[in-house]
Amino acid sequence: MDKYQEYFSKIRSFYEKNKRMPSYSEILKITGLKSKNAVFKIVQKLDEAGLVIKDSTGKLIPGSGFGGVRLLGYVEAGFPSPAEEELIDTMTLDEYLIRNRDATFMLKIKGDSMCEAGIMPGDMVLVERGCQAREGDIVVAEVDKAWTIKFLKKKNGMLYLQPGNAKYKPIYPKDELNIAAVVRAVVRKY
Amino acid sequence: MFGNFSERAILHIDGDAFFASCEQSRDPRLRGKPVITGKERGIAASMSYEAKARGVTRGMSLFEIKKLCPDAVIMPSDYETYGLLSKRLFSIVRRYTPAVEEYGIDECFADITGLRRTFRTSYSDIALKIKKNIDNELGFTFSVGLAPTKVLAKIGSKWKKPSGFTVINSRDVDSYLVNWPVEKLWGIGLQTTAFLNKHGIFSSLDFKDKDMLWLKNNLAKPQIEIWQELHGQSAIGINTEAKTSYASIQKFKTFTPPSSDRAFIFSQLSKNIENVCMKARRYSLATDKFMIYLRTQNFHDVGLEFVLEQPTSFPNEVISLAACIFDKLFISDRLYRTTGVVMLNLRDDNIIQPNLFRKNNIQKFLDLYQSFDSVRRKYGKHTLFLGSSFMANKFAQHLGSRGDIPIRHAEMFKGETSRKRLNIPMFMGEVT
Repeated sequence: MDKYQEYFSKIRSFYEKNKRMPSYSEILKITGLKSKNAVFKIVQKLDEAGLVIKDSTGKLIPGSGFGGVRLLGYVEAGFPSPAEEELIDTMTLDEYLIRNRDATFMLKIKGDSMCEAGIMPGDMVLVERGCQAREGDIVVAEVDKAWTIKFLKKKNGMLYLQPGNAKYKPIYPKDELNIAAVVRAVVRKY
Repeated sequence: MFGNFSERAILHIDGDAFFASCEQSRDPRLRGKPVITGKERGIAASMSYEAKARGVTRGMSLFEIKKLCPDAVIMPSDYETYGLLSKRLFSIVRRYTPAVEEYGIDECFADITGLRRTFRTSYSDIALKIKKNIDNELGFTFSVGLAPTKVLAKIGSKWKKPSGFTVINSRDVDSYLVNWPVEKLWGIGLQTTAFLNKHGIFSSLDFKDKDMLWLKNNLAKPQIEIWQELHGQSAIGINTEAKTSYASIQKFKTFTPPSSDRAFIFSQLSKNIENVCMKARRYSLATDKFMIYLRTQNFHDVGLEFVLEQPTSFPNEVISLAACIFDKLFISDRLYRTTGVVMLNLRDDNIIQPNLFRKNNIQKFLDLYQSFDSVRRKYGKHTLFLGSSFMANKFAQHLGSRGDIPIRHAEMFKGETSRKRLNIPMFMGEVT
């Protein structure tokens, strides 16, 4: 099997360098084999091992074990820079704070009714419209023709609004509780 | 319905009183009230259904509106917010299909043909789902028409408003067309209507029932396409190209009290020209096509379009021709209240070929305006301006106070400026 590993690592190096799989004649060149028939046999073996796959036209594509092998460090050319790969798994502040961009609005806090929840006057709050509010969420509701931002709570099966400040009383809706949006983030710039 | 495999499924989605709804949906104090936008223009640009019910129509002057509807809430347009919400409308529809035509700021066509399997449901369910998504996420309603062609879909979206949802099946098209006057068809203008009426064609059904031979002898290709679309054959394609960001830039500024002083009014216009040019330079755009407007005290508008020899974004190259046009528009004994300028057909300024005779000037202007813009950026917009704008810069725009600026501009966050704000629409009113 050592022989095959050596060939395989050469195919892999080619792939690393050229960002594509080699053709049969290219494998011939890089492995230094004598005939295409020999290449064929190697490819057959690698195929069986799941390292490469032949597509419908007979051309090669990396198999499921192709990348896995790389992580085990077969290639003496060295590891690909892990920094670059890790970058794929980062996100922008926008992506972090906003779940559904099309439904996100912002508002500016005026009062102190949520100050114990860390939402201060002047803060920017990002809210999402059109999603189902759940008990315990901080929501923006419409009460007496004004926006109010409160915890959504439930008591005896009845939804009500709980301020995050002991100075304020909970709001029990007279008929229907009109929830416009759910709070997703608070932003404060200094 | 939609049994025939060659038949398409086209949606037309249309905002209900879009601008006024944008305002109402973000400020609960406006809910249930007659809301009108367009204050800065002096006319109703959009009105809420409450205002429509009171008889306010599009283009009505604010003076008339106040008489008709004294409790009307008249607001300056906030195009920035309307634009943001418009983009969201298109983006939500694109979750379902890439074939979306942005037809206007508040309306689009979408082709959902062939998506039944993907979404495992009928076309009308897909359409309803899209409508629900838009209504819920934007916070106000849209009217939707679903039909085999664009012309029929457009009838559908207008059939019931607000928040209508109308599916026009090919087999009962006629029952819609019989009650739909031909002049209300998309693409049929006044001229064609007069012509069709003369031939006894009043309803859309009358039009549909005409035969091809008559059409070919009497009408042109666009009208024949409409006729084909009425027959359920898709003849007008979906144009999926996104609208370019800045097709035009405009600045309209009202001054109070109104004035009949020629030099003062021209300086107002000159200031607007400087400002549109500055905005164009900021986005690296230029054009050779301009329009200037004057509005009198009693809301009579006059305007003229003119074309320069080469595209520009330097006011010096615009002012002299604008002065000639101004002289044509200006009548000396009238009181004027607003001047405006529009730059049309904007293009990238780096693809613009310098004119042979302008060669020496262009580098001069580039250098000049680079420093000009950086001085203005550093020390403020009103530190440096052309002599022709002097009188407009000497006085405040309004000797009385009138809030023509969108409230969003008064509600800024730390780090936002009057030039650059966050691209997220904002809820208005006190948030407690």
